[in-house]
Amino acid sequence: MLINYEFNEDKIQSPLQYTWSIFKRNNIAIAAMWVAIILVMIVIFAGYILPNTPTTQVKQLLLPPYWIDGGVSDHFLGTDDLGRDTLTRLIQGIQLTLGGALLLTLIVSILGTIIGATAALTKGLKASILHHFLDALLIIPTLLSALILIAIFGPSYENCLIAVSLSLLPQFIRAIYINIENELNKQYIIALRLDGAANIRLLRFGIFPNILESMVSLLNRIFSLAILEISTLGFLGFGTQFWDVELGALIASSIGLIFSSPWLVLFPGIAIFIIVLVFNVFTEGLRHAVIEGEDE
Amino acid sequence: MSLLDIRNLSIDIATAQGKVRVIDKVSLTIVDGSIHGLVGESGSGKSLIAKAILGLHNASWTVTADRMFLGTTDLTKLSSKNRRRIMRKEIAMIFQHPRSYLDPSKKILPQIREVLPTISIKRRLLNIIKRSPEPSPRLRIKELLHKVGIQNDRIVLASYPYELSEGICQKVMIAMAIANNPSLIIADEPTTAMEPVTQEQIFRLLYKLNQLNNTTILLLSNNFGSIRDLSDYITLIYCGQTVESGSYKQIINSPMHPYTEAMIKTILDFDENISHKSQLYTLPGNIPSANQLPIGCRLGPRCPRAQRTCVINPEPLNLKGHMISCHFPSTDKN
Amino acid sequence: MLNYISRRLNLLLINAFILTIIAFLLAQWSNGQSLTDTNYIIDYVKYISAILQGDWGSSIDNRLILQQGLTAFASTLELCIISFITAALIAIPLGIFAGFYPNHFLDYCIMTIALIGLAIPIFWLAVITTMLPRLTGITLPIDGGISPIFEVPVVSGFMLIDTLLAEDLYQLNAFYDRLAHLFLPSIVLSFFLIAEIIRLTRRSITTVMKSNYIKAAYANGLSKTRLVLHHVLKNALPSIIHQLRLQLSTIISFAMVIEIVFSLPGAGVWLLNSIKEEDYLALPAAVLIISGFILLFSIFIDIFLMIISPLKRKSLYVD
Ligand SMILES: Nc1ncnc2c1ncn2[C@@H]1O[C@H](COP(=O)(O)OP(=O)(O)OP(=O)(O)O)[C@@H](O)[C@H]1O
Ligand code: SF4
Ligand SMILES: [Mg+2]
Repeated sequence: MLINYEFNEDKIQSPLQYTWSIFKRNNIAIAAMWVAIILVMIVIFAGYILPNTPTTQVKQLLLPPYWIDGGVSDHFLGTDDLGRDTLTRLIQGIQLTLGGALLLTLIVSILGTIIGATAALTKGLKASILHHFLDALLIIPTLLSALILIAIFGPSYENCLIAVSLSLLPQFIRAIYINIENELNKQYIIALRLDGAANIRLLRFGIFPNILESMVSLLNRIFSLAILEISTLGFLGFGTQFWDVELGALIASSIGLIFSSPWLVLFPGIAIFIIVLVFNVFTEGLRHAVIEGEDE
Repeated sequence: MSLLDIRNLSIDIATAQGKVRVIDKVSLTIVDGSIHGLVGESGSGKSLIAKAILGLHNASWTVTADRMFLGTTDLTKLSSKNRRRIMRKEIAMIFQHPRSYLDPSKKILPQIREVLPTISIKRRLLNIIKRSPEPSPRLRIKELLHKVGIQNDRIVLASYPYELSEGICQKVMIAMAIANNPSLIIADEPTTAMEPVTQEQIFRLLYKLNQLNNTTILLLSNNFGSIRDLSDYITLIYCGQTVESGSYKQIINSPMHPYTEAMIKTILDFDENISHKSQLYTLPGNIPSANQLPIGCRLGPRCPRAQRTCVINPEPLNLKGHMISCHFPSTDKN
Repeated sequence: MLNYISRRLNLLLINAFILTIIAFLLAQWSNGQSLTDTNYIIDYVKYISAILQGDWGSSIDNRLILQQGLTAFASTLELCIISFITAALIAIPLGIFAGFYPNHFLDYCIMTIALIGLAIPIFWLAVITTMLPRLTGITLPIDGGISPIFEVPVVSGFMLIDTLLAEDLYQLNAFYDRLAHLFLPSIVLSFFLIAEIIRLTRRSITTVMKSNYIKAAYANGLSKTRLVLHHVLKNALPSIIHQLRLQLSTIISFAMVIEIVFSLPGAGVWLLNSIKEEDYLALPAAVLIISGFILLFSIFIDIFLMIISPLKRKSLYVD
């Protein structure tokens, strides 16, 4: 045969490489990815990089940030009404909020995937009961269910995390369930079944590659909601108590000072905003890369 | 006289691995009032050419052409609004998967009514004076459907596309296509996924249209055998390159390109005595995927006559309207 | 069709049943009673019959929970509805534009706004907004639902309507006062809603725009306006509405948080105060009222979608 191998220099890329090569072209998403990585690093190594200890109080109260008149370089973002360093408390807040949200997203996604996949692959009474139960849980607003759980278990950071995960879990299970269910009805899954694929194999090779895009946006959604909800509960005073303070509680504790030193309210809010924004841009880029990879 | 004249049409599609030239300098001249068959294997780019003619490309495509004339208007120079107007009047397309080209949330009736030519006010006034009212839209639609061979028009018109079979959807598409009396109909594999009887009906319909209304038809197909006897002119493409183009006689009686020869050999002739279970003739190898196209003549790796010079793109050879793109066309005429 | 409705109603009953069980457990817990294994069915039946007779118990300060909850939730709904209408009017055209001209410069601007809107923590935005009147010098109320000088009798619970009904008392002053009180909170809520609606609309429209029938309609030479009005919107709207309905509980959550920041009497303030005063009977009431509303509303929307969208009907034949 006359096949000339010299012409086939391009290897066919694996879907993952392909997705990556599309993702790489998106500069904004790449930048967001790096910021996200840095943020995660901050969460992990917060203990080592804190400029001051969060509880030490200095004499200078309500210092403005460094670049505003009256600011000092020791306290880059200034101090609060008890003379605690804002930057330190901000980093600690990021650690608690972002770290909590990441942990929670991880747990919710693992549990949710297991439950959702099992439910989708089993038929009959059990699945139907789960289905209706989830439906009922879904129509309780997340804030309400978090409030209920906190009322029952008492306010603390851990309980706040548990409450938020329990209120997000039904959403995740439901979305996974619907996605898998939709895929299961397609012809190629039937073909795989006829090939004798067991359930695990079906999930791994048949379903997951095809629901990747919705998984990415679902994870992003759960993560954003987790951040916003943890900080909302903190803001309402149901989250962290006393010294360890996450971002929402930080805002709540400074509301009274909003006119005298607005940055105490501004910085934590901006931190939350940047976290959510960065992760959103990153996952949007990822999602686009996945879609485009499928389109072509 | 040529109705559609395309010279060196190229389409590049941006993919993650960079630009891929899926259509490479295709030229197409369609004579007014003829049926022109465009034949190529699946994936050779027929639908892409059709979409480029209609201007239906999305942002990731770059379409370039030296010349793209419909009659005397230059399609490449038109604004998108004007182009749509021309398309509405002059060109109609019958798509490959008809059901997906019908709006799923609307019944068939409003969809057909939408493409009916609007009657100008002047004509209406004239009609009032002459006391010969225009037939009502409903009647005209009925007539159209009967023309394409749909008898139970009332049921079809009141259905949503998903309630109809692909064959009926195809007929509806054809009815919509001929509603405007276009001068050119592009039929993109109008008979895929249909049983032979319907296939035959649709081909006969297209033939009748061509004979009675003098409508020019560009017929795309991957089945050389099924359309060759319908076509006045035939163009073969392979992997986005024109291979050979000419009138029916030229192509069938004196094919000069190795690909055409192979295609003709692959058509089963029942007169011929083929011994039971003998191997049928095919070219070796497969059609390459879009990101692994060979350079030069794309048939190269599969061509029985290929030589070293074939890595350079062959210049098309024009012998009295018979175009061949090959360095080594066969010259033995029988 | 009837089949579908009856199935939805079936679902409604099952969901309502689960909700009442949750509420029942909560009520038991808040009364400090532990379940004994002999009488819980009887307890449940008693609880349900009390609920059905409107006897929802009373709060610590001896007010009827049912009235309190309904009034509070009506006020929350009022905020949601106003914000939603504003947001839809602004966001749907923007979303359509962005979906229709993807990768256009304006598309990028619109999507950036949407992204920002989704990333801003809503309670923080509310806190910042409370600073606005002081900073800009515009006089706008930033706390409370209505000035205390007006004593509007509760009729429908929707205070805007009630103020209109009480016109003989204060002319339209109470109405304007209420509007002014709702102004900033609804701006904050609609900021989020705008972002969400833009995102949903754009996504839905781009999916439709990619489909073959739009290409065909384009090839048939339809004008752009006709394309949008007759083909794109018809196919995009059902999925937008469906997605928004899934967001309903998030919207209500956000509305409650905003109310708390602006001390706008409503479900949020009511719940927060009840929890702070350890008056937990409000919790089962809130579950029943808020979730009950969401449940009914969802089913209503589902049936509505069934009626307007033949595609949804098609999926019925399949299963
Ligand atoms: N959007 C796209 N992006 C990248 N490649 C594309 C795209 N659309 C088509 N192609 C490539 O262009 C080639 C031609 O496709 P086309 O649909 O025109 O083939 P065809 O001749 O109509 O085949 P068939 O007989 O199956 O209809 C294919 O090999 C395909 O890989
Ligand atoms: S140019 Fe060469 S490779 Fe191409 S068809 Fe002719 S002989 Fe074959
Ligand atoms: Mg095709």
